[in-house]
Amino acid sequence: MLRERYNSTQVFTLLATSVALLFAIVTLLLAIDQERVLESSERLQSRTVPEIIRFQRLARNLDQLRQEGERVFSSGTSEGRQQALFLTMLVASHPSILEHPQAATAAREAEAFLVETSRLATENPASIAARYPQWQQFSKRLNLQVDDILVEGANLATADLGAVAAAMRLTRYKLMGATVVVGGLLALLLLLLRRYLLRPLQRIDHALSTLSVDQSAPEFPDTCLAEIHAVEEATKRLHGALMSNDAVRRELEVLANRDDLTGLMNRRHFMESAKAELRRAQRYGRPIAVAIGDLDSFKNLNDTYGHDAGDVVLRNFAGLLAESLRESDRVCRYGGEEFAFLLPESTVEQARVLLDRFREHCAEQEIWLTDGVLVRVTLSVGLADASHCPIEIALQQADLALYEAKRQGRNRLVVASDAG
Amino acid sequence: MPTRPDRYSANRVLGVLAVAFALLLSSLVRAVELTAAIEVYDAAYVSMPGNAIPPNMPGAELALINEEFAHEICRRIGARCTLRYVAFGEIIPGIEEGRFDLGFGNFLRTPERKKRVAFSDTVWRSSSRLVALRTTVEPLVGKTGQAVSVDSLRGVRVVAVDGSQQQSFLKNIAGERGLTLVFATTPAGTFSALREDRADFALLSAITAYLLLQKDSTRQFAFAGPAVSDRGLGGSVHIALPKQRDGLRHTVNQAIATIRADGTFQRIVRHYLPLGLD
Repeated sequence: MLRERYNSTQVFTLLATSVALLFAIVTLLLAIDQERVLESSERLQSRTVPEIIRFQRLARNLDQLRQEGERVFSSGTSEGRQQALFLTMLVASHPSILEHPQAATAAREAEAFLVETSRLATENPASIAARYPQWQQFSKRLNLQVDDILVEGANLATADLGAVAAAMRLTRYKLMGATVVVGGLLALLLLLLRRYLLRPLQRIDHALSTLSVDQSAPEFPDTCLAEIHAVEEATKRLHGALMSNDAVRRELEVLANRDDLTGLMNRRHFMESAKAELRRAQRYGRPIAVAIGDLDSFKNLNDTYGHDAGDVVLRNFAGLLAESLRESDRVCRYGGEEFAFLLPESTVEQARVLLDRFREHCAEQEIWLTDGVLVRVTLSVGLADASHCPIEIALQQADLALYEAKRQGRNRLVVASDAG
Repeated sequence: MPTRPDRYSANRVLGVLAVAFALLLSSLVRAVELTAAIEVYDAAYVSMPGNAIPPNMPGAELALINEEFAHEICRRIGARCTLRYVAFGEIIPGIEEGRFDLGFGNFLRTPERKKRVAFSDTVWRSSSRLVALRTTVEPLVGKTGQAVSVDSLRGVRVVAVDGSQQQSFLKNIAGERGLTLVFATTPAGTFSALREDRADFALLSAITAYLLLQKDSTRQFAFAGPAVSDRGLGGSVHIALPKQRDGLRHTVNQAIATIRADGTFQRIVRHYLPLGLD
């Protein structure tokens, strides 16, 4: 089932829009709270505080009324009493008292009591003392009224301040909530970034840095981001291209280093390998031998059966070499029907045994030509020690030994030292 | 012989520029000239020259409060003010005619007055009260058992200050109640009317009545009945200003707000009266 994949631009645009939307909502909510606080503050300043001041003035006027009432009783002269009474009546006339029903009633009753007291005192000065306990009741009532009004005034601020405090509390909760949500969203964003972007990129980076023909094609877990999937697929295709290139390279290498007809090493590649092998052997003092072999009377075979037959013989001979020699031995088609051998870790004697056995094996080998003719070929070999001289010298010595083997009658092996 | 070019000292140039600038500025910031009308309670003191309100003048306290208040406002708005002492009834016509820029009396803001002049923000608050000779009040109380009130006035003579809100109120109810209206140019005149038996009651602002009562050595007069602050007889008191001069009204309002906010107004009132007016 084909998995649905999302374009990362769309995904991140969606995430960014979500964050922006959330931010806008939080800002709006905070703005509403701020507006509420401003409204409460404005109300407090423009309405409540003047109202509180009004209550304070009312309380002050009531208290002054009470004090002037006391002065009516404490004044020793009728003139002083009269002045206090006028002032009492003026205070009782103040609009702040008149517009407050309880205060107006208390003030009116106190004023009437004081007017009557003043009138009686004019007729009988002794009556004033008798009325004082009753005034104390009025005075007490006015005092309570003052306290009530002060409390009532102070309470006016409580509602506004409470509204401000509630709005600020709400703002704090919203801020905390917004912080948690934004934090969560950021954490989610980081998690998504890590899971769907960073980790896949790290995997791709690792795959690219270890990408080679020796490794199998990189495998990636399924991803839902289209771009990441595209890069992963491109990485896989890159590995495929590497493998393909390597195969071509190997093929070219084979073509460059092998003899077309026999599939053996060509002379150039043999010489490079031989030089490297000789350096190694001579550095570590290990024995190494070289040899040159030549198929006997090969020209006659060509002349008799044709070049195609010669090619068949050469291919059969190369097959025989591949079967008979050790893995570590090197052999190349040196030219025509000549073959060069390099035998690492072999003394001349060991090499002589090996090559002699091969020579005998070769002589016994039946080769069927395409037209059903059976032929056999023999091999002459010149062997030389290469442990202490350059490859070219060793090959010259082997070539001389080969010449000696031919001279001695073919199908034999001559060691260079024996060739004298 | 080559002539030496004129060179000027930088200090001298700057000095000349500074003087020129100062002259220009002084012409721009020249103090505004204002005329403020202050209500006096007694006709004898109307058109009185200078700042010479005698303390024994009836209602001197309120006139002095208004005088100090006017000075303070003028100082705050950077105006040079000339004070004129006038009867209450002259103030609004004077403002209408352009003779006064500020009117300090016990002005309640009524719809009728608002058609003629503008008003500042609230200065203080006021109510009204009846005053009568004791010999008039006490028999009435004794007869009915209840205090006299504005609502109980029937078939009596009532005096009020010409142009006052009390006068307007009385005019409205006079026909229905069978009242005889007597007018006086000043508050002191209302007391004269009572004393001379040209009126039975005087309807005055409570503060005005108080100031006259406490200065009256004869002790013939007394408050009659309770105070009234409804039906246009009480409310907020304002400074009267010319209409169409919103700039002046705005600066005066700002000055009032600062004078109240820093306690200056309350100190002025307390200096002359044993109680606050607001």
